[in-house]
Amino acid sequence: MTKWLRENLWRHITGIIMCVFALFPLYLVVITSFNESGSLKITSFIPTDISFANYKLLFTDERIPYMTWMKNSLVIASFVAVVSVVVGAASAFAFSRLKFKGKKAGIQILLLIQMFPAILALSAVYVIMERVYTFAPGLGLGTQAGLILIYLGGAMGVNIWLLKGFVDSIPTELDEAAKIDGATPVQTYWLIFIPLAAPVLAVVALLSFIGTFNEFILARLFLVDMESRTVAVGLQQFIGGQFSENWGPFAAGSIIASIPIVIIFLSLQRYIISGLTAGSVKG
Amino acid sequence: MFRFKTLAVALAAVLGAGIFTVPSSATTEIVVWADETRGPNIREALKAKTNWVQGYTVTVRAFANFDALKDAIDKATATTGPDIVVGANDWVPTLAKNGKLAPLTLTAAQRARFSPSQFYDLSYKRKLYGIPVDVNNVAMIYNTRLVTTAPKTFGEMVDYYKANKTSKSLKAGLCVAGGGMSWGAHSVASALGADAYFFNSNGTINTGRVFNPTTFGNNVKTYLLDGNKSNGFFPATDAGCKDNFLAGTVPFAVIGNWEWTDYTAKGFTMNLMPVPGVNATSPGKAFGSVSGAMLTSFAKTRGLEAAAKSLLVNFFGSTEGQVAYQKIEKRPPAEKGAANDASVAAGQKGFGAAAAAASVPQVGAVLNGPSGKSYWDSLPAYWTAVLVDGKDATVEARKLAAIYRANLALAKGDL
Amino acid sequence: MLTTLIRGKVAFVIKAISLALITAVLLMLTQSAFAQEQYAIALFLAIAIILLNYTYFSKKRVPLKFFLPGVLLLTAFVITPILYTVVMSTYNYRTGNYISKEQAIERIKALAVESDPDGTAFDIVVGRYRGEFALLASDINNSSYFISTVSDRIPLDPESLEIDEIGVAQSAPDFTPLPPGKISSSKAASLRFKFDGEYFLTIESLNVGVVLRQTLEYLQPTDQFRSLITGALYDDNGNGNYVNVDDPEEKLEPGWRDPAWFSNFARLVQDDRVRTPLFSVFVWTVVFASLTVITQFAFGLLLALALNKPIRGRRIYRSILVLPYAVPSIMSILIWGGMFNTEFGAINEILGQQIAWFQDPTFARVAVILVNLWLGFPYFYLVCSGSLQAIPGELLEAAAIDGANPRQVFRRITLPLLLQILSPLLIASFAFNFNNFNLIYLLTGGGPKQQLDGEIAGATDILISYTYQIAFGSNIQDLGLASAISVIIFFIVAAISLYGVKRSKVLESFS
Repeated sequence: MTKWLRENLWRHITGIIMCVFALFPLYLVVITSFNESGSLKITSFIPTDISFANYKLLFTDERIPYMTWMKNSLVIASFVAVVSVVVGAASAFAFSRLKFKGKKAGIQILLLIQMFPAILALSAVYVIMERVYTFAPGLGLGTQAGLILIYLGGAMGVNIWLLKGFVDSIPTELDEAAKIDGATPVQTYWLIFIPLAAPVLAVVALLSFIGTFNEFILARLFLVDMESRTVAVGLQQFIGGQFSENWGPFAAGSIIASIPIVIIFLSLQRYIISGLTAGSVKG
Repeated sequence: MFRFKTLAVALAAVLGAGIFTVPSSATTEIVVWADETRGPNIREALKAKTNWVQGYTVTVRAFANFDALKDAIDKATATTGPDIVVGANDWVPTLAKNGKLAPLTLTAAQRARFSPSQFYDLSYKRKLYGIPVDVNNVAMIYNTRLVTTAPKTFGEMVDYYKANKTSKSLKAGLCVAGGGMSWGAHSVASALGADAYFFNSNGTINTGRVFNPTTFGNNVKTYLLDGNKSNGFFPATDAGCKDNFLAGTVPFAVIGNWEWTDYTAKGFTMNLMPVPGVNATSPGKAFGSVSGAMLTSFAKTRGLEAAAKSLLVNFFGSTEGQVAYQKIEKRPPAEKGAANDASVAAGQKGFGAAAAAASVPQVGAVLNGPSGKSYWDSLPAYWTAVLVDGKDATVEARKLAAIYRANLALAKGDL
Repeated sequence: MLTTLIRGKVAFVIKAISLALITAVLLMLTQSAFAQEQYAIALFLAIAIILLNYTYFSKKRVPLKFFLPGVLLLTAFVITPILYTVVMSTYNYRTGNYISKEQAIERIKALAVESDPDGTAFDIVVGRYRGEFALLASDINNSSYFISTVSDRIPLDPESLEIDEIGVAQSAPDFTPLPPGKISSSKAASLRFKFDGEYFLTIESLNVGVVLRQTLEYLQPTDQFRSLITGALYDDNGNGNYVNVDDPEEKLEPGWRDPAWFSNFARLVQDDRVRTPLFSVFVWTVVFASLTVITQFAFGLLLALALNKPIRGRRIYRSILVLPYAVPSIMSILIWGGMFNTEFGAINEILGQQIAWFQDPTFARVAVILVNLWLGFPYFYLVCSGSLQAIPGELLEAAAIDGANPRQVFRRITLPLLLQILSPLLIASFAFNFNNFNLIYLLTGGGPKQQLDGEIAGATDILISYTYQIAFGSNIQDLGLASAISVIIFFIVAAISLYGVKRSKVLESFS
């Protein structure tokens, strides 16, 4: 008993304290979402009256097409996640495994462009998409397709970099064996590398999914029409009015928006740890 | 093999042509940009009549919020920009300097529909860039469950707070619920003697005069401080004010005219008044500004300038248009006919009356800080310095006055 | 099965079809881009088409096959904007100097009109008179009517007109009205119709005409403006404005963006109002990023150590602990903002204090670090747990046998090894937080700012949020200066990251 205490008590105390720290703000969000007054005021830590008014508002108010926003976010984020990983994995493979002129310079450029404060390039992106709009209204400013293209461009650097880390960690013996068997790089890629890296690709896809899901600065500039907005933009609308703040619907909406990500996260936990260890930049 | 490829190219080209059609250049669609609340309401109000501008249609785009709208109009160009943007009056100087707005010339009859100070708000260098749409102002409300009669002086409110602080567990005496610690709090600063600017008898701004920092500093010391600490009467931030007022823990609050329905919904009557001054005769002046429908320079490029001007006059600047719009938007209408219309609610009228009793136009050219320090950042900084950090009220007031003076001097040419 | 897909004829057909489709769409876009005079984009697309087809149909060029799509996307949406920003840093691109020179001249001309002293206006009908654009104007107060063309003003006899109930003439002999939908885009909308001397009549809205005169004229050969009222001349001052020759302070607005070469960079060093805040913001940025990494790492490591044993409830702890990382950060940051509120925030409620978190510089900085700790410790917890498992158990056992106590094992072996494994991640995290815009923007907005004492930057402003404010702030926007700062930020962060890469290279050779 005393041995158990000596060995494990501090572990539990640390665990519990940090769990309380982690949960506290989330608990407040939950309380707020059930509070009808729409304020973030904490009257008591145990809610007295529970109201579903905020949730009802999200699903019934025709001026807040919340489910459409949710769908938009999921579609845009999934698309970006899948495509950016597919395109990124191929580049990462080339950077890691193939020999070509200018490889080292390429890797360094890739790293450096990620370091540029992207927020400032916003004006330029806007100008480009505005020009695209003049000849292809389906792809330019104000369209989801245009926004997806920008996200893809933005995700590329990070993803190639991340995935390159993974590819580096896969032993080269396998593809050397394949090479001896007469496989071309394209075949090695599809038959050896992709199956090996599948879990890792899933993790990187998940990380880009979350990143895209959270993005609001570009999205609010690009997705003007109510029906085309994403959840992050829609949620900000509740508390970013000229003078008003509606915390209730914001909290309710945030909780619903978090559910899919939290579920994926918890179920892929094991993969995520290995994925992150190999080199992520969030944190 | 190559023939096959050419075939596929041709096929896909036909498909592609269907997806990407180029917009035609001569359009009859007037595009209006607005924020998340005004946008849908304008769209709804436009349905009241089909031919606001004969031969033209109107499309309203509502942005996710006010900041997003500002971001977008800052970056917009003639390719994708709007013909009309509905925004805050203090956008006018910046947008005009950047060549994004185009001036309009109103006839005498059209001008007569508005008060001259409202045009002041939407002008830059003597050019008018928009039509006043709604009036934005604040007024003080008092909780009749706590205070039975309207206070006559600032001192009365402070005395009430001190006497009932513990017994009624008050969180504060007076707080700013609407408009923030610069725009909304001007009425409080003004009640204690610190107006943003003063006027000459002919109605122009007196660019040589600022408030007396000693008087203001002494008033702050008398009414808001206890030694060098805040006496708790007036909090330095606006957060939580609305909730506390609604919960009955603050007897007086400065509230905004865009959210008065939140108060009536909780059973409060609209006991609106200006913030009482140190003397009964000098109430605090609140900013009465307008939101405007502004004409952009893009309209001309798109061949829609004359049509957009017609929409400005026929819809945004007419009694009919403003009544239809304010029925939904529920802010006080700017246009005189609409303001007196029977369909305007008591709350909207209450704010109108408070504005008539003590208000001051919001002049972006001065307030936006040509000296690099704006009024908008300076007044909140004063509240924080004195009420939170415990700095000397008079010393800080002198710094504030110096900023005001510098801005007035530099804005002279822009008025 | 898969092999045949990749090798055989089928594979080639699939490749040919998809490539043909992509080529076709791109070709289509190129064509319309060209038609709309977007030559740069058209050129980019054309190059993309050639590269794509060459790469994927050629037997050689293997590496390019893998990264061409990635490179194209990067070039279009990342590298081009970066280059644009770099170019902008050499321009005086700011409020008042925002548009191109041609546009500025257009705007100045359009603004340089004034009404006559009475503000005369007429009800008008726009149309053609004997084939020429003309206005049929009604002065309803005086019941007088006239038709005005560009060269003539023809008085009309009311008897000959069709006049509506409010006294506005609707039609006249030889006058055909234009359909309302055609007026705004017609040439008539910008014509000046004859009125009286220097004053002309022009279309204001579809049925109102106003009397105006021009106050400035543009002199093309000398690139000058001349006042038609005072005769004053306005010259290009070489800095994006026309200024009065006799009084350089009198500018015509708007100005235009003009090359300023290195003056934005020079301002970073020379201009006191730029340099001083920039320096203090830089110091805080470094402190913020370092403290963030240290606290996140310390707490993450502590947790990882605590839960490194299969104790009861470990799965539950772990599931709860990753929540901050999994919920959308936009939501959690805003909620934290509410919790730090002075009057009613949960934190003051618990502490029983009235701390003005976001008004006091020190408290605001503490709050920012604390929130960032919350956001980031789960990440380091996950990463540390993973790495702890990677440390060979024999190493630790050997140390224990040698008589080292657990603390010594940790200090001498575990920690150094962890730091070595994780150094690239720690550096990446530092670089990320160096540019952690969202946190600052959503939590404090950079404040508090002691503006009364002349502070321009807020206490929690980091370089990126400060730059954003300079570029897109509400009053004075200086994109040129902001671009110059971001170029500088770029060099700083790049240096840090390259150092990080070097470290990880060392690591690679180790293992």
